[in-house]
Amino acid sequence: VVELVESDRSTVEDLDRLDHRDQPWVTIVWNDPVNLMNYVSYVFRSYFGYPAAEAERLMLLVHHEGRAVVASGGREEMERHVEAMHDYGLWATLTRSDA
Amino acid sequence: VIPFVRDSTGITARLTSDEAAALRNLSGQLVAMLLDRGAQVHGDAAAMLYAQAGIGGGEEAPLDPALARLLPDAYREDPEAASEHRHLTERGLVDRKVQNARRVGADLESDRSPVVVRLDEASVQAWLRTLTDLRLTLAARLEIVEDGDEGQVNDEADAAMLTIYDWLGYLQGSLVECVSTSLDNRDASDGRGTLDAPGR
Repeated sequence: VVELVESDRSTVEDLDRLDHRDQPWVTIVWNDPVNLMNYVSYVFRSYFGYPAAEAERLMLLVHHEGRAVVASGGREEMERHVEAMHDYGLWATLTRSDA
Repeated sequence: VIPFVRDSTGITARLTSDEAAALRNLSGQLVAMLLDRGAQVHGDAAAMLYAQAGIGGGEEAPLDPALARLLPDAYREDPEAASEHRHLTERGLVDRKVQNARRVGADLESDRSPVVVRLDEASVQAWLRTLTDLRLTLAARLEIVEDGDEGQVNDEADAAMLTIYDWLGYLQGSLVECVSTSLDNRDASDGRGTLDAPGR
């Protein structure tokens, strides 16, 4: 273990920021007792363009774990996704990916 | 009878005149509930100006659990961001839900029985969303809160509501089958589905 000199420290912080800079926000879909499994899969396929198997996997994650991250990216983009999910009647929120 | 059938040219809905009347009625109630929310939060002059610009909405989540579920907060742990987002987007969301429900009602206008409706792509999307919104509303009324919940059925009216809720689920499931098959065909034709869904 070595002590960081000042110039190194800034590099590390930059790298840290880089990790979250491109995908800083996430869209989360939450489980509910109403929406049908095939409908949730359909929404993930048709809206996000996920292949059938991936849409199924995310749907099952929502079903069993109570929620799933279905998209990540910039804040405005995630806000659009959340609004689209509300159009479909899915319960969705957005949050910072490191939250 | 299978309510939705898909053939090479599209999706057709087939309902008895009683079923069609019930669905028209429910769609009308949904429109009224949503317009009522709109009226509550767009009552003053400033709100009307926002409304003309196509933005605006409440700043607090609706108290009615059905409306709260149809128009949920976009931020779960940040009330300020949730309020700001709602203020900018709720009106648009309400308007689209109203348009969807009205479209379903209009599609069902018919003097014949059974009522046979050919759904174009826009109608299919409106029906998918409105059937969902109706089921979410009834589930809130029946206090269905967990997976596998059968709801609070205290009287005949509740029992009737539960029957309608189940019937709407059956309609929804049938329509989703049809549109999912369309996606399967699309994926198969562009080669996308083959790697992801072996054996289909």
